[in-house]
Order: sequence, then C-alpha cells, then structure tokens
Amino acid sequence: MSSSGQERKYWNPIIETLPRERLREIELKRFREVLRWAKETSPFYKKKLQGIEPEDIRTFEDVSKVPVTEKEELREAQEGKEPFPYGHLLSVSPERLSIFHQTSGTTGKPVYFPDTYESWQWVVEVWCYILYAAGFRTTDRVFLPFGYNVYIAFWQGHYAAEKLGCEVVPGGALDTKGRIQKIKEIRATALMNTPTYGLHMAEVAKQMGIDPKRDLTVRKMICAGEPMPEPTRLRLEEEWGADVYDHIGGTEPGGWGGMCSEKKGLHVIEPHFLFEMVDLETMSKPIPPGEKGVAVITPLCRRCIPLIRFNLKDIMTVIDEPCPCGRTSIRVNQISGRIDDLRKIRGVFFTPNMVEEVIRGQFPEVTEYEILLTREEALPVLTLRVEFDPLIDENSYKELRNRIRERLKLRTNLTFEIESLKPGSLPRYTLKSSRFKDLTR
Amino acid sequence: MQDMQFDLKAMDREIKLIEESALRLKTLGDGIEAVEKNVDAILSFVYLLKRNISDIIE
Repeated sequence: MSSSGQERKYWNPIIETLPRERLREIELKRFREVLRWAKETSPFYKKKLQGIEPEDIRTFEDVSKVPVTEKEELREAQEGKEPFPYGHLLSVSPERLSIFHQTSGTTGKPVYFPDTYESWQWVVEVWCYILYAAGFRTTDRVFLPFGYNVYIAFWQGHYAAEKLGCEVVPGGALDTKGRIQKIKEIRATALMNTPTYGLHMAEVAKQMGIDPKRDLTVRKMICAGEPMPEPTRLRLEEEWGADVYDHIGGTEPGGWGGMCSEKKGLHVIEPHFLFEMVDLETMSKPIPPGEKGVAVITPLCRRCIPLIRFNLKDIMTVIDEPCPCGRTSIRVNQISGRIDDLRKIRGVFFTPNMVEEVIRGQFPEVTEYEILLTREEALPVLTLRVEFDPLIDENSYKELRNRIRERLKLRTNLTFEIESLKPGSLPRYTLKSSRFKDLTR
Repeated sequence: MQDMQFDLKAMDREIKLIEESALRLKTLGDGIEAVEKNVDAILSFVYLLKRNISDIIE
C-alpha cells in the first residue's frame, strides 16, 4: 500500500508507465553508453566492434548494423585466456568480483559469468520488477524448492524477494517429500521453481495424500529455467490452485522479462534491456509484431561483462497491443521453441514445445514424457514415451496412446510412435528438463 | 506516466547528495575496510537509483 492508502501496482511507476517513445530514447542512449564501455574495457569487444563508433548509433536501424554476439564467441573469448576463467570478456579488475555463476553447458562448454557487487545488485533489481509484476509482496512467505549452486537459477529470485520484503525460505537440501512437508509446515504462500518441478511436486504431494490445491497455502508461483507453453502454465494453476507466472532470462543477460497479473505474454524490463526480434533466416532483419522471430537482447546497465546484441536463440513473437495493466514495455509471447531444438523432419518444422502444448493441455493422464528422434533406413522416426498416472486403468492405455497420436498429428503434421512406460521410469528434473533426445546427431 | 506526480528533479538532487556524501565518507574512512566496503555498497544502490530515476529526466 502507498502512504495514500492506494494499492501499489508497480515496482517503479515512473519507468513502467513511461511513453514508449521515451523508453526507446533512453534505450538508444544507454546502448551507446554500453557500446562505449564495452569497446573501452572488454578485450573481446575491442576486437569485435572495430570500426563501429558509438556516436554513429543514432537510430534503431543503426543498432541493427552492430554485429550480434553468439554464445560460441563467448566460449572462445574465455577458453585459455587470462584472467582465468573469464578471459577476454571481463571489463573490470578481478579484485572487484563478488559472485560467480556459469551456464549449464547444455550446448557445449560452460561460459563463466561473474558479477561485481554493483552489477549483481542490478541483476537483482531487474528481478524485483519481475516479482512485483507477478504480485509478490511483503506479506508473502516464499519457498524456493531448489538446490542453489553454480548456476544463476533462483539466486536472483531469492535476493529480489528478500529486497522486496518477502520472507524467503531456502528449500535446497531437502528431497521432494521434505520440501512438500516444509511448504505445508510453514504455510508458504509463494513458490519459485521450474515448470517441470512444479508438476512433479504436485504429483508427489498427491502420492503423499496431500492435495496442493486443498491442503497447501501456495497462491502464487513464478517459473524459470525452461520454456513454459501456456497449457503447462494452466495445468500448474489447476494443480496448485495458484496464480502461475512465467519469466524469461538466462545466465548471460540475467532475467529480462516477466508476466504481469494479466498473464497475457511477458513484459520486457525496459529500459534496462534493449530487446529486438530478428528474422529466423538471416538473423539480421527486424521483423514486425506477430511474426515469429529470434530474440536478441542487450542488457544496458550490467558493466561487469557487457553483452551487445546477444542472440538468445529463443523463438517468439511480439504482442502488438497495449497491456491493460498499464505497463508500456514491449510484450512477447511465451517462448515457442529454441533454435537449438528446431528440426526439419520430413519437410516439416518441428519443436519439442509443440508436444508439450498437446500433452500438458489435453492429457492430464500423462505425468511425464520424453521425445526421441531416431533414424530407420535413413528416415527420421519420432517416438513419444509416456508415463500415465498410476491411478489410470491399464486397459485404457491403448485408447490413450491412439488419442495422443491423433492429436500430435493434428498439431505437428508428423506421425509419432507412442510407447507407454511404467510410472517412475522417466527422469524428473529440478532444473532444465531434457525431454527431447535427438539420437540422429 | 499514469496520473502520477513525482518531482523527479528533486529526487535526482537527493540522489546526487547521497553520492557526494558517500564519496566524502569514503575519503574520510580511507584505510578502514568497514567504511570503504559499506560505502561501495551504498554507491551500488546509488547506481540503481540513477538508472531508475535520474536517467528518466529529459
């Protein structure tokens, strides 16, 4: 509540309701500043940005002439280079560093991302915008069912919730049953977890005779760590009886977008970030709202390791309508796929998210699944392995498999082999799930 | 901005005063880790206040 007794809606009402033109002006000015900083202090960017002068960047068209930064370049700039292990990416002296994080290494060797106290506070500040928009307040007791470690996952959420004035309960060194007991015991009102783990906790709670919706007090959940298609978000809301919010971010840029109470897409945290969408083919041409493209992001105030036009490899669309919440920032739809997972199978573009949408949206009987891409006599074969809820009668498995095959065909235009496995056969993930296995590579 | 009146210039002036005061304190406490590091922390938050408030002024 404000001193006038009115309900507060924004973390920063000044920035969050600025006219778009003003937001864009600030972003352009900050882009020039971060470009100058990177050229002056980062050996990697000194080389990469040769011939590009910050004062020449006057319009957003000029921005698109600056080369995109790829993750592979970050790896190369670190490997075997001093100062260890950050190499040519570091823009400050190592004595100023106060926290270490690294990427998961899912797509190759990990990239190491430290922060100074100042840059870390900025990363946390951005998450304050995200949590506040998702309704986190001083009245919340936030439980984090996650073992924090070298990855950035949930550290930002932890510190941001603390800064907001929530009561933060770290739930790391407990197993899933222990975490559920703790959520019940302390009457936690909010959770932060991956979508996969949120579903898994609901599954385990039911096995323990606890109905999350009826027996627990969780009323909001913010998800991170993996893309969350809308059917998955809705299923989590149904399982937990809570408002479930998506967020987008990563180790390299930090968190950069989140859902407001409208739950219609995610607001980019402008003008702390400059967000661009480029076309899938050339990775350079800007694309209009509504069309699928690849997201490119520039964190504008994180000076420890600057990032200029970082290719996120997330496929998404921009929403071209003002949000009823009053925020004026760009909104994007939830991630519809990752460039790394995009495949052309029998002439059809396929992303694993398409399967997730069908399974989570139409088959509550499925508790876990895995997609395999293999090859038989040079032809690609897609297999979906599913685990059904143990309460489902085995006699209905065949009919369920047939229905899943039909719905997947409608959604993807591809034919799947469907296999049902014993409950508990597939792995449960606490961080990034890895349900798509391409065995053709 | 949505029907909200904030005196951004006055806020900016206060932010600058905090920064100047913190820097003076750092000079006075030169050699005392407990002063230097806490002032550095204050300056990190000043940096955020500048990004959140001062930068918005046209």
